[in-house]
Amino acid sequence: MNGIWTKRRNVIRRAATVAATAGTLIALPAQAFAMHISEGILPAPWALFWYAVALPFVAWGLRDLRRRSEDLLWFKPLVGLVGAAVFLISCMPIPVPTAGTCSHPAGTGLAAILIGPGLTVVVASIALTLQALFLAHGGLTTLGANIVSMGVVGAYVGYGTYRIIRRLGLPWVMAAFLAGLLSDWATYAMTSVELAAALHGGESFSAMLTLILLAFVPTQVPLGILEGFLCAGALKFVRSRKPELLRMAAAGGAA
Amino acid sequence: MFDLFSDIFTYRDNALTRIDPRAKLLIALAALIAVVTAERIVLPLAVLAFCLGAVAILRIPAKLVACRLAAPLSIVAVLVVIQTFVTGKTPLFAFTFAGWQFTAKAEGLRQGTLLGAHVLGAVSVVFLLSIVTPAHRIFQALRWFRISRNWLEIAILMYRYIFVLMDRVADLAAAQRLRLGYTARGRALRSFTTLAGATIIHSLEQAQRTHDAMRLRGYRGTMPFGPLPPLGRRDRLILVSCLIGIAVAYGLLEWGVSG
Repeated sequence: MNGIWTKRRNVIRRAATVAATAGTLIALPAQAFAMHISEGILPAPWALFWYAVALPFVAWGLRDLRRRSEDLLWFKPLVGLVGAAVFLISCMPIPVPTAGTCSHPAGTGLAAILIGPGLTVVVASIALTLQALFLAHGGLTTLGANIVSMGVVGAYVGYGTYRIIRRLGLPWVMAAFLAGLLSDWATYAMTSVELAAALHGGESFSAMLTLILLAFVPTQVPLGILEGFLCAGALKFVRSRKPELLRMAAAGGAA
Repeated sequence: MFDLFSDIFTYRDNALTRIDPRAKLLIALAALIAVVTAERIVLPLAVLAFCLGAVAILRIPAKLVACRLAAPLSIVAVLVVIQTFVTGKTPLFAFTFAGWQFTAKAEGLRQGTLLGAHVLGAVSVVFLLSIVTPAHRIFQALRWFRISRNWLEIAILMYRYIFVLMDRVADLAAAQRLRLGYTARGRALRSFTTLAGATIIHSLEQAQRTHDAMRLRGYRGTMPFGPLPPLGRRDRLILVSCLIGIAVAYGLLEWGVSG
């Protein structure tokens, strides 16, 4: 009994250490970029593994792009421009009250609703490459892992949530809010899994995963809610002003 | 953020910008592999020192370097602290804070420091690459390496129109601020979602205009990529010398130094 209590106390103590230090240190720079796994963090075998996981999804998205752009010549410019817009939205700083700093939405839920999950993976892979090269967010060695968490998981969870809630007959605003919220949280959960798998070393995987999840909680829980509002609010704005543009984009998405 | 996202320095004329982008990509890839697979901190730190030295010689503003390295540095700090206090067995020191006892461990500190060195070394390689190679030259080189044409076409469109949309977004955000759009939390959230929605509308309208302009210039579904000539003698020499240099440094610093 004493042993179990000591173990629990150790886990709580470690969690407190990680949450306190991560919260403090992430708040140090002007902006937090919690969801990008930075260049060089993943050991080579893990970096290659996540590349191998990401590549089929990117290839599937490119196949989708090729098929659709054969019928619609304007489809590639549309995907490129939507990608540029989502890239910019994902760079807009939004204040996170609990962390006392600014963070950034992922934007993948919104993109998946607009152009579909397959193309969102392609767009995310390009956005992550540009961010790694020109902003030092994420990295080339961690590109595969970041595509899996931000592109694949974020896009498919966001798109799936939107479709399921619409099928249930619930309002599209709620569907968009939950798509943004869950795509953000799913991205952060997947990032935590990737980090824990690579960094747990001699410690247990589940203990490390719990610690990393707890360390992300102060920023990601409110950020996910804000992303939900962003997704619903942005779509509401477009639907009220230019609904015909959404129909054009919906050649690939769910909006 | 927007100030950082510029390739203005890549258009300067210097020894590094004159090297063929294919050679630079291969050298950067080799350096990244060396850094990520290093099991001692010496090699990643040597790469960091080399890259920062090159950046200083190229007279890149210190503010830009600091901004680009701020996020990775904060990640390094988090990694070192987490690893030091969470992993390992051999206690280094302990302290009590708010009733909790924290124990730093030697193995964790070593592991955290190595990870931190990996991050800094790898980030510095990509940073140096990005300030001596324009984006369109990188895309051109990637096409030469048989990266998907469709992926590169979307990448080129995205890169081009990020800057166009950026100006529009900056104007909209300035107008919102002038109208006190960010004075209260609720109002700020509404302004932010409006800004995001307006960005999407601009992008979709711009997509139509871009397509029309491309059609007028003969676009039939694929964008042409200018062919790259074979690597010149000078570039081949630089490539081989750098690859040998990285291999020798790896051998010496990873296997050659005892301790």
